[in-house]
Amino acid sequence: MSQLMIDAAVLGSIYLLFCLGMSISWGTIDILNFAHGGIFMFSAFVASQIVSHVELGLVAICVISAVVGATVSAAIDVLAFQPILRRAKNQRTAELQILIGGIGIGTIPVAIVQVYTLSEPFGFLHSSYETTVHTFGGMRLSSTGLVVLGCALVLTVSISYWLKNTSHGLALRAIGVDPETAELMGVKRRQLSLLTMAISGGLAGLAGALLTFNLGAITAESGETLLIKAFAIIILGGVGSTGGAALGAMILAFSEVLVLRYTGGGWVDAVGFGLILAVLLLRPQGIFGKKEVRRV
Amino acid sequence: MSRVDRGYRVRIFAGIGAAALVLAGCGSGAGGTVSDGDLPDQVKVVSVTDQTGTTAYVGSSQLKGIELAIDEINAQDYLGDTEFLLEKRDSASDTQTAVSQTTEALTDRSVSALLGPVLSAHAVAIAPLVERAKLPTVFTQSGSEGVVIGDYTYRATAPMETYFVKALERLRDQGVGTVSVLYNAGNVTLAGLGEHTIPDGQAEYGYKILSSTAVQATTQDFSTTATRIAGEKPDAVIVLLVGAGNSTAMSQLRQAGYTGPVVGNPAAGAGNLAPAGAAGAGMYWATDFSFHQTAPSSAAFVEAYRAKYNGENPLNYAAEGYDATWMLAHAVKNSGGASREDIQRGLEQVVGEGFDGALGPVTFEGNDMRVEGVLVEWTGTEEVLVEGSDVAE
Repeated sequence: MSQLMIDAAVLGSIYLLFCLGMSISWGTIDILNFAHGGIFMFSAFVASQIVSHVELGLVAICVISAVVGATVSAAIDVLAFQPILRRAKNQRTAELQILIGGIGIGTIPVAIVQVYTLSEPFGFLHSSYETTVHTFGGMRLSSTGLVVLGCALVLTVSISYWLKNTSHGLALRAIGVDPETAELMGVKRRQLSLLTMAISGGLAGLAGALLTFNLGAITAESGETLLIKAFAIIILGGVGSTGGAALGAMILAFSEVLVLRYTGGGWVDAVGFGLILAVLLLRPQGIFGKKEVRRV
Repeated sequence: MSRVDRGYRVRIFAGIGAAALVLAGCGSGAGGTVSDGDLPDQVKVVSVTDQTGTTAYVGSSQLKGIELAIDEINAQDYLGDTEFLLEKRDSASDTQTAVSQTTEALTDRSVSALLGPVLSAHAVAIAPLVERAKLPTVFTQSGSEGVVIGDYTYRATAPMETYFVKALERLRDQGVGTVSVLYNAGNVTLAGLGEHTIPDGQAEYGYKILSSTAVQATTQDFSTTATRIAGEKPDAVIVLLVGAGNSTAMSQLRQAGYTGPVVGNPAAGAGNLAPAGAAGAGMYWATDFSFHQTAPSSAAFVEAYRAKYNGENPLNYAAEGYDATWMLAHAVKNSGGASREDIQRGLEQVVGEGFDGALGPVTFEGNDMRVEGVLVEWTGTEEVLVEGSDVAE
């Protein structure tokens, strides 16, 4: 059972790393970025191409992947999302157009990598980093799993602190509540939006590199598979709540691991998402979400 | 009737007449209907396969084999003055696209035959269409039922369960008493192996299944299953996954402490296991083709393939595409004509007699190919032939 807990914690951390960036942009600047999966995969792909020519370690690869992710995400914001926001008639239309636009944009990196790799898996085979396995009390944890756990913990706490206790974080939360009023109060909405998208993309890139190290290889479609899980996790935890995303990721991972351990693997998604549905029926705003109050 | 109406009708009739003249002028050959017993200058063959999309590595490899075969057929004047003309369609791993491209091919009477797609979902969708239109079609891969359904549908890939037994025989030779199974339940072929072939083989091959875990096609992380399997301490593990799943499962099995042999499937080839590096060492699988095969026809294919593609080694998909194309060439030669009916008659003779192709000596059961198959093993850096598995030597 203890080993199952470790496996579930590592899996939950992977989910969390993936959805943290999505959660930030959705919870603050109201951008539900469905290109996140494409950014995640493309960042790891670029890093894998560099590693195939230059031998690099884990840290360098993670930095490269995060920088690529941040750059791509910021570019998407400047070239697509901001123009959509400027032209949309109202907030609801903008949200819908961004969602559809994100889905469309997300197919571009996937298509590029599919064409380049012919959909064969890629990884960091020529990296100088080698996974080692640590054994303690009969349990096993790989060095990559340890890094994934550590990164998820540190980033969740840091982002939560940043959003709650820094001026940038407060400004972002203000944008999330009422963007127009926040702008009137002197919040630089466009710059902060760009910063948020860059951070979100950087987290996607970091998650891409770490997941590739953890699994050994990913494919052009790997990000798409995680996207729907991340969406469910954020809904489960409550949109805009970093702690909620962390809890949601762990609930999904633990339910999947338990189902896989004690029943057929074919039930994993059904039970995992059924659990989420049950929580939403009982608490529609998610575990840590706040009820939306609409004033007439 | 007004003058305008009369003028309109005259133009319509003139148009129809002109179209009829054009069609009649085409007569036979690449531009029009090929008559029975007619051997035109060009025999038009359409390939519908995935050059892009999730199975691009399969379709692209298949297409390389097809193009090599076309080159050889034309360069050798195998059909005298008649040449094969290949028209390529990229179905982009999308069923609707494959259906649409096939419909286009079967309504074009100048198309004599079709080289079918590699995905079962595509093949199952188009098989009834080509069968109804009587367009001879040779599929490769597409291992599920509902693909070879009549006189006009053929398959140049042996069903995996027919040669998978080579891996089970090796388990018996290695004295394996217990196995744990991990399989992709979303893949018809692999699910068939995991749910029927392997359980059914327990008595014959002397192993006992400790656990059998089905995972979904979208599963990327196998750490929980790997932990459980390692805890069961089986003599061998059978991993039936596709794509990146093979390298991930191998890495996680090794990290979980399992060090024994692992039986895989041909989807572990084509570079899919390479990212696992040394962790992938010890996986072996039965396949319908390896470039190490020593059968003379296989060796000739490998040599020609390397010459055409800058020293690259062919995958099994290329060998299958090559043999599928040569089946059509043999069919034209046998029947002495290139109409759809001629080719179907010729194919009947081909499957009745068998032939030596890239896959080695091939035979048929109905319209479905059978091969001996070989065992290959991943050493951590390359695929090698398991000693003694190449019966054609």
